[in-house]
Amino acid sequence: MAALCAAIAIIAVVVPFAGALALLGTVPMGLLAYRYRIRVLIAAVVAAGMIAFLIAGLGGLMTVVHSAYVGGLTGVVKRRRRGTRTVIGVAFVAGALSGGAAVGALAVLSRLRHLIFQAITANFDGIAAVLRGIGRFATAHPFPFSGPLGAGLEVAADRLKWLLAEALHYWPWLILANGIASIVVVSLIGWWALSRVLERMRGIPDVHKLDAPVDNAPIAPVPVRLDQVRFRYPNTDHDALSALSLDVHAGEHLAVTGANGSGKTTLMLLLAGREPTSGTVDRPGAVGLGRLGGTAVVMQHPESQVLGTRVADDVVWGLPPGTTIDVGRLLSEVGLDAHAERDTGSLSGGELQRLAVAAALAREPALLIADEVTSMVDQQGREALLGVLSGMKQRHRTALVHITHYNNEADSADRTINLSGSGDNTDMVETTAAPAATAVVGHDSGAPVLELAGVGHEYASGTPWANTALRDVSFAVHQGDGLLIHGGNGSGKSTLAWIMAGLTVPTTGTCLLDGRPTYEQVGAVALSFQAARLQLMRSRVDLEVASAAGFSPKDHERVATALAVVGLDSALGKRRIDQLSGGQMRRVVLAGLLARSPRALILDEPLAGLDAATQRGLLRLLEELRREQGLTVIVISHDFTGLEEVCPRILHLRNGVLEPASATAGGL
Amino acid sequence: MTTAPPDERPARQPTRPVVLLRPVPGRSAVHELWAGTKLLVVFGISVLLTFYPGWITIGLVAALVLTAVRIAHIPRGALPSVPRWLWVLMAFGGITAAFAGGSPVVELASVPIGFGGLLNFLRITTLSIVLLGLGAMVSWTTNVGEIAPAVATLGRPLRLLRIPVDEWAVALALALRAFPMLIDEFRVLYAARQLRPKPVAATRRARRKRRARELIDLIAAAITVTLRRADEMGDAITARGGTGQISAAPSRPKLADWLVLSITFAMCAVAIALEVPLGR
Repeated sequence: MAALCAAIAIIAVVVPFAGALALLGTVPMGLLAYRYRIRVLIAAVVAAGMIAFLIAGLGGLMTVVHSAYVGGLTGVVKRRRRGTRTVIGVAFVAGALSGGAAVGALAVLSRLRHLIFQAITANFDGIAAVLRGIGRFATAHPFPFSGPLGAGLEVAADRLKWLLAEALHYWPWLILANGIASIVVVSLIGWWALSRVLERMRGIPDVHKLDAPVDNAPIAPVPVRLDQVRFRYPNTDHDALSALSLDVHAGEHLAVTGANGSGKTTLMLLLAGREPTSGTVDRPGAVGLGRLGGTAVVMQHPESQVLGTRVADDVVWGLPPGTTIDVGRLLSEVGLDAHAERDTGSLSGGELQRLAVAAALAREPALLIADEVTSMVDQQGREALLGVLSGMKQRHRTALVHITHYNNEADSADRTINLSGSGDNTDMVETTAAPAATAVVGHDSGAPVLELAGVGHEYASGTPWANTALRDVSFAVHQGDGLLIHGGNGSGKSTLAWIMAGLTVPTTGTCLLDGRPTYEQVGAVALSFQAARLQLMRSRVDLEVASAAGFSPKDHERVATALAVVGLDSALGKRRIDQLSGGQMRRVVLAGLLARSPRALILDEPLAGLDAATQRGLLRLLEELRREQGLTVIVISHDFTGLEEVCPRILHLRNGVLEPASATAGGL
Repeated sequence: MTTAPPDERPARQPTRPVVLLRPVPGRSAVHELWAGTKLLVVFGISVLLTFYPGWITIGLVAALVLTAVRIAHIPRGALPSVPRWLWVLMAFGGITAAFAGGSPVVELASVPIGFGGLLNFLRITTLSIVLLGLGAMVSWTTNVGEIAPAVATLGRPLRLLRIPVDEWAVALALALRAFPMLIDEFRVLYAARQLRPKPVAATRRARRKRRARELIDLIAAAITVTLRRADEMGDAITARGGTGQISAAPSRPKLADWLVLSITFAMCAVAIALEVPLGR
């Protein structure tokens, strides 16, 4: 139910935009109707319609309704396994109904009808008058063919007026017929296009983890005792968690560490109420996920954790109606008391996670599970968040299970459990050394590759929302350089990356690549975005690499070579994108980008969300590429750890300005 | 944009972007109004203009919108730049309509010129502008967090008909929350596509086929991203024990709201009273 609600909401956002591109808006609606009940579709239409109304008035609302009709029709027909004939039948009825409704509405709204008809008549009369004028002119002047041309034009003008008069006379029939015809045609086109797209969408996996437990026993999740617990996901051939025994006492602070794939998240699911495949989980009462005095979970992605649009709203979000809590006290506990009225969209990752903790504490949980809450947060935010978590013990009788892959975060815990070695570690397939470099280019001190001079950028300039992201940034990058641009959240580092890749035109100053502005040569500088998934557009690894690199997917040789450059086995080529781990996704993106031999490679937060071993592997790869192939690497990150080898040179960015102290030579 | 020599800053015409669903910074009487009042006013006036699209109604509504703009201190910069093609389109429509001539005929330098067509065209154009302005006022002065609770309150009577209004309000609230996140993700998606090489296709048929496949891939990527986001948000909802409250500070109509509602109602009544005897 919850996942569904979110799906509705999100699709509601997509539709008004996609709706502007005619048929595209029907895709999400079709998917909803295909997967869920009609009631879901209606809720989505209401939400989407409301947003469209706010953005574009009644016209936007109509677009949404239209998309919902076509998408809903296709989705439902497809789910019931009916064919084209059903579509035509339903479309005919719908067309007759909507045509009839339009006729009825125009019959009642006579003033609007007159206005519309007058406007149409005026335009037609105008065209006719022009045609006639040209015709007279032609008849009056002795050009070649001017006689027949002039007469023809005048006849055409008369025909046009007559046609319009006839059409307006029979308007109800015309509108009805038009309604039926257009709706049948649109439905058929929608059906034809959508059924192909829906086939493709079927493969998108459902990645939701938590299920609301159905248990009416009194809520008491701790103390909990796990005895020889195993867990195996359906359709897999190995245990995600094997033979684990564990106690969590009331009020204690327990840290759980381990690499990716060691079963940390699985343990979270078990504590949150999933039934194990074998073994026993003993607790005195029900789990009470999200209930008062029950279990609360805070997860990895900061933005998805926060559900309210204002900070104070988010704290109470989802509480049973009628419950009152002290929002101010909770916010001051996590250090956000000054921000109660702020938009959650403007919070940094660390602030979002602290807000999620406050929302969890609003339920006075007996057990709080924090699942890798710091992995997407910058250093400053991480410290504040850890401070909140370790200070919790003084004020609440809450048992804290802190799951993390940073060893130092486990230090403040009463006890630490290391899961590594207990499960199957689905690590990266790393082949031997990368193939020998084709052209080794040394560090030459000639002309710089990238040269930024006085670059500044302001978003939405000229509007009341104007926001300066960068101010007077100047530096140069040479061939084979390794540069780290370091800065916290909101320092403008991502904007800088977009400018260097040519995706954004800076409002002031110039960013030159080999002497020409970068925005004229988009693609010459490769950019790997923080969210690797957004950069993978094809369904399979080999198709993806071929498309990103611009060669034919049948060219297996080159695909294999491209994969080998980033240390991936060519056997991975047939794997579906959705089955890759985070580290593999990042490497596939790099394979596609590097195969085009870019002038420079920019990586935005390449280490976010990866565990220590995967991070080390990726850094080693980047280092080799820079050393042996002379690749120019620019890393944008809020982290320093491990980056010294790849990026010997560091620039600090704060509030859109380069900090002069550590800005090394190389500027202009 | 042309190539600019590195030593010379290129003069760029700043085009103001459309900023959606973000209120203009600052507080004013209009900002303070209950979101439900604003929605009601906009809805009521939309209905009025649909039934009585006369000059008097349009003028009255335009006056109302302008007064609200003045009170809310909306700067001119809030208006997005109008793209050139829209001007061209409007000029084209205006010219063809002007040729039609029509009932109010004015003698200009002893040449009779009919303005009926042009006036009709102007009326429809003003009508659309006034309606858009009305919607924009809501977007400029309302925090999106207030909209969903207001809809829930306004829709309360529908609950008697067993319509799941609260479900809709929750969906709307989540949609408005997800809005900026998804816009960002789509921006990245679009940028990632820009970074890719564009394969050359020999025949037109191959080109069309390729474009269709690319479009499907792009949609699939967009939907995958949104569904992933939806799954994560769904997990967060489950972790909070399902849906329930959506707003910390319950907002209700205050004195100012009733005042605004009565002004709007009076204006509608005046408009109808003036329009009906004039109507054809």
